Amino acid sequence: MSSTTAPATQLADATGPAPVLSARHISKRFGGVQALDDVSLDLIPGEVHCLAGENGCGKSTLIKMISGAERPDSGEIEVDGIVHTRMNTTSAIQSGIQVIYQDFSLFGNLTVAENIVLTSAVAAKRKLYRVKDAREKAQAIVDELQLDLDLNADVENLSVADRQLTAICRALVSDARVIIMDEPTTALTHSEVEHLFTVVERLRARGVALVFVSHKLQEVLAISQRLTIMRSGRVVISGPSADFDRRSIARHMTGSDVEESRRVPDFDQTATPALEVRGLTLPGAFRDVSFQVGKGEILGVTGLLGSGRTELAESVFGVLPAKSGTIAIDGKPVRVRNIQDAVAAGIGYVPEDRLTQGLFLEKPIADNIIAASFNEHRNRWKLLDRKRIWGTITHFFDQLKIHAPHPNRAVRTLSGGNAQRVVLAKWLATDPKVLILNGPTVGVDVGSKAQILDLLRIQAERGMAVVIISDDVNELVACCHRVLVVAHGQITHELVADQVTEDSIQESMAV
Amino acid sequence: MQLLRKFRGANNEGSLALILLVVVLGMSLLNPVFFSVNTAFSILRAATVPMILALAVLLVIISGGIDVSFPVVAIGSAYTAVTICLKTGFDPGLPAIFGMAIVIGGLLGLVNGFVIAKFRLPTLIVTLGTQGIFFGAMLVYVGTRYYPTLPDSMAALSAVNVVELTTSAGRAYLHVLVLLSIAIALIIWAVLKYTMFGRSLYAIGGDAEGARRAGIRVVRTQLWIYVLVGMVAAIGGVAYVVMSRSANPQDLVGGELDIIAAVVLGGASIFGGRGSVLGTVLGVLLIQVINNSLLLVGVPSAWLRAAVGLLLILGVGAQAVSARRSAQRIHTVDTGEAVRLELEKVS
Amino acid sequence: MKTEQAQPQAAENSLAAMNNRIGRVVTEAVGRTLRDRGVSRMLIALVVAFGFFAIMRPRIFLGPINLQNIMVAAPEVGVIAIAMMLAMLTGGIDLSLVSIANLSAVTMSTLFTAMAASNPAFGESMTVPIILIGLVVGAACGLLNGLLISLVGITPILATLATMQILNGLAVVWTGGKTLYGAPAALTTFGKTAIGPVPMLFIVFVLVAIVIATVVRSTALGRKLELQGANPVAARFSGIPSRSVLISSYTIGGLLAGLAGVLFLCRNPTASADYGASYVLLVIVIAVLGGTNPNGGFATVAGVVLATLTLQVVASGFTALRLSPYQYSIAQGVILVVVMILDTIQWSRPKWRKRGVTTDSASLQTTQVGTIKKDKEQE
Repeated sequence: MSSTTAPATQLADATGPAPVLSARHISKRFGGVQALDDVSLDLIPGEVHCLAGENGCGKSTLIKMISGAERPDSGEIEVDGIVHTRMNTTSAIQSGIQVIYQDFSLFGNLTVAENIVLTSAVAAKRKLYRVKDAREKAQAIVDELQLDLDLNADVENLSVADRQLTAICRALVSDARVIIMDEPTTALTHSEVEHLFTVVERLRARGVALVFVSHKLQEVLAISQRLTIMRSGRVVISGPSADFDRRSIARHMTGSDVEESRRVPDFDQTATPALEVRGLTLPGAFRDVSFQVGKGEILGVTGLLGSGRTELAESVFGVLPAKSGTIAIDGKPVRVRNIQDAVAAGIGYVPEDRLTQGLFLEKPIADNIIAASFNEHRNRWKLLDRKRIWGTITHFFDQLKIHAPHPNRAVRTLSGGNAQRVVLAKWLATDPKVLILNGPTVGVDVGSKAQILDLLRIQAERGMAVVIISDDVNELVACCHRVLVVAHGQITHELVADQVTEDSIQESMAV
Repeated sequence: MQLLRKFRGANNEGSLALILLVVVLGMSLLNPVFFSVNTAFSILRAATVPMILALAVLLVIISGGIDVSFPVVAIGSAYTAVTICLKTGFDPGLPAIFGMAIVIGGLLGLVNGFVIAKFRLPTLIVTLGTQGIFFGAMLVYVGTRYYPTLPDSMAALSAVNVVELTTSAGRAYLHVLVLLSIAIALIIWAVLKYTMFGRSLYAIGGDAEGARRAGIRVVRTQLWIYVLVGMVAAIGGVAYVVMSRSANPQDLVGGELDIIAAVVLGGASIFGGRGSVLGTVLGVLLIQVINNSLLLVGVPSAWLRAAVGLLLILGVGAQAVSARRSAQRIHTVDTGEAVRLELEKVS
Repeated sequence: MKTEQAQPQAAENSLAAMNNRIGRVVTEAVGRTLRDRGVSRMLIALVVAFGFFAIMRPRIFLGPINLQNIMVAAPEVGVIAIAMMLAMLTGGIDLSLVSIANLSAVTMSTLFTAMAASNPAFGESMTVPIILIGLVVGAACGLLNGLLISLVGITPILATLATMQILNGLAVVWTGGKTLYGAPAALTTFGKTAIGPVPMLFIVFVLVAIVIATVVRSTALGRKLELQGANPVAARFSGIPSRSVLISSYTIGGLLAGLAGVLFLCRNPTASADYGASYVLLVIVIAVLGGTNPNGGFATVAGVVLATLTLQVVASGFTALRLSPYQYSIAQGVILVVVMILDTIQWSRPKWRKRGVTTDSASLQTTQVGTIKKDKEQE
């Protein structure tokens, strides 16, 4: 694998101007995991360099090395001809390297102007804070990038996109020459992404080298001049973006042509649908959405971020109750005003954000598994029945193949795949009629992914209606009977049976 | 609308000022005696010590912590200084007494700051512990005696008034220490607004991890916060002793939650990152004005605590409800302009 | 637990089986309790403190009067500390507990005095209704807290700070700041009775502890309280009705505070608005010493009971050594700070190491998405 690295690097050296930063032969181990293995990367002024790869491939670790947050075991980083064997955060900032993390590290309680100026003022070891200076400095940057930011607004009242622009301005105040953006488009709507890209063009014109960390193919191709793909801690390939297409990027990212093959269990199409949604509307999110899911059917829902797909799922589950429309379970209409109503009606929801919404990290695995079904584990004295609880836990340990030393261990100690199985077990323990999964395999390794999809097929065979919301086209093709495409808060396409292919899904999403 | 928002202020200072104004006007209409220089002066006098202590707590609360040991620190350092003077029979003069108390207060604050910053423990729990330690240590090692007379220099200060007026209602005095509290308010205001230390407090209170990433030395700043709080509290303690013309080691202690209530009433967020000197000053004044009003109207002062509690619920409750409303409005969905317009028509 | 086997069903064996079962349940419960850090730590502290004072001043400290005093003084603080633990379990705090207890005591005392004024026998005969009213007052105040916190959405520390001021203010106004005398004689008698060497008050305390421990460990509500405190967002997404869970938590807390009010009257037939002012912060100390995590999610009743007893033993031991209450105040603070510091040293090391291992980008990225989501989520 690493053999492909060398020519690619040479290519960069040969064609472009001198790199502002080169990372060479960086390796890093965490415990038993080789997080980075002999990774090299060149950043060239005025270029957008995309760092792509699936979750856990090591791209975030690489960024931490460059920004000085972590120290490499071996390798060196050269900035402007000065070789650093290890960076620290201060020297990285002084060298003009700025990282914009996903959470932006902004202070919600301070104004935009203060946020823009604070870091550089701290770095300059200032004692006094001059309000007027700060404003002027911030205004200058905002004007230069032609942004429409209210300098006096508190950051916590800004939209995600404006927060990101604030973070970019902050980086520029510190004279950044390398700006690394970690998944910059994750929480942005389509038009906000476009605006971000125009700002990125202005940054390029200024001679800034940009790194986009992303796992979204379309963006990667649209914005970057150069592309490096990582997998399992190694650089798989690196070169001009023009040399890649969507398919080849996907191949390099997943590392195999052994994509999940399509395998869908049969189900009785004539039976009353398990879930039937009619005319569901939530102003500002989606409107007049109707669909149904049969018993034993696996329905895929996809769409761009901000299309309303997550809101739709959260509406059915009662997180954001819909303003109008009806939901019926097994043909019987149910009112879903809150999550308890949804759970009582037999709906389960595996959220996208597993760590905060799905799991009690500090609590034992056992508690997590029965977190949604305490009431079903009571004896006639209305006390919890330990024996029955234990039975449930051992049952799901076996059935879902949860690998853990003991159910009393905190969930925090589990890997992504096992943690997701615990969330799954929590809902299966409630014996739901409908199970909605948002990003079921995000942050899960390849092996676990296949197993989790298998588990879903088994549940469907047992008559459960399964709804999968996902970005991962391959996953949808692998196990969904039908796929709905959502855009602008409405269902725009319905792909049935043979129509469910990667190409058709991509096509309908693009429109 | 913009103007209204500006008037309300970042921490609802405007609303607070408005309430204060309404109470003052209402009281003046009800009872003309209220609207007099005498009343104003006595309210200012009564507000002096709570104001200084509240400003000290404000610093901690902005930084995201909470301190319940400050009354003990205040009375402890003042009482210790007085005891030293009286036991040795030597009166070193006011500046030295203030200095001595400030040093003691700073040291006690250092203990708080060290334990909190070094071991990253919850501030409420730590200061709860040190409160007991400081209180016990003062009574065991310094003394439990009540001193009815102060060292001469302090006793002299007790009687100093900056303004003495004869009004129709009798003579009105403005105590000199009122100026001290105003000076402290101004200094803390300037520190919060115009120094990096002050801005760091807000940053740490907003997001301690983010502050660390931004290069702020969080541990060192936290240490300084508690030292500063100890020093300001010590000044408050000396002021208290001077104004009550006696030194009792059991005074002030137990009033910590009342002071914290005043700070929160003044718009500071208990989660940190928000709070202003102006708001705190208004909060303290409001409580004192209400106290005074209750007396004048003939309501027993016992109602004061209930009134403060009620105000607190109204103030914080209104904030909580409006925060919930604005959270509901935010949708990050890109429904497209056309769809949005249509939706508006529907709803 | 794994080796659970089918119980012999035969009738002649049922008694043996029953015994067996009870025995196992007890050992299991004890084992589980001892595994908890708060409990084992406080057990050691209690034994050490008891042993130390027993050796230093065996005559006074081990005297029946002293031991009885410990058992009589502990319940009122202990019951409030258990109420505090419940609030902390959900990630909150309840500063109003002592005010509630006093308001309940004042209510009961006033009611009794009014009833007994015309006819003392009538007042006595109404003892049970009076106690019930006292408990209802407590529960109602707790309900108020719960509503302010869950429906209005005020942070627990502020909501209960405010209700503390209001309820205390009401009690002060009601009593005119004076101490009220008068309580049903039955209560005072009850306060003085003992079964063998054990005072009834202490038995009440133990019963309360057992009931609350059962609620926390073995009922759906208790486990929901824990999870609510451990991660409110995940609790919501698991269909746990946060509002009703919080309301029940604070209502039970208020009920316990009302019971503490009854205990006040059992010890002394007096009630005042300012009784036990030092308890407000003391019960926080006890709860934390007993292993309650102030951030929520973790607590045991046994730990809190042991912490209550430990502090009570230290207090009476100090008296036995002729040390002043001020020295006891120092000791109390030192114990709290030292235990907290020892805690971080034990906690942080393995945690830190684990964090190092799992710093793979997957978990990190998801956490960051989490923070963004949370911002959006906050309502």
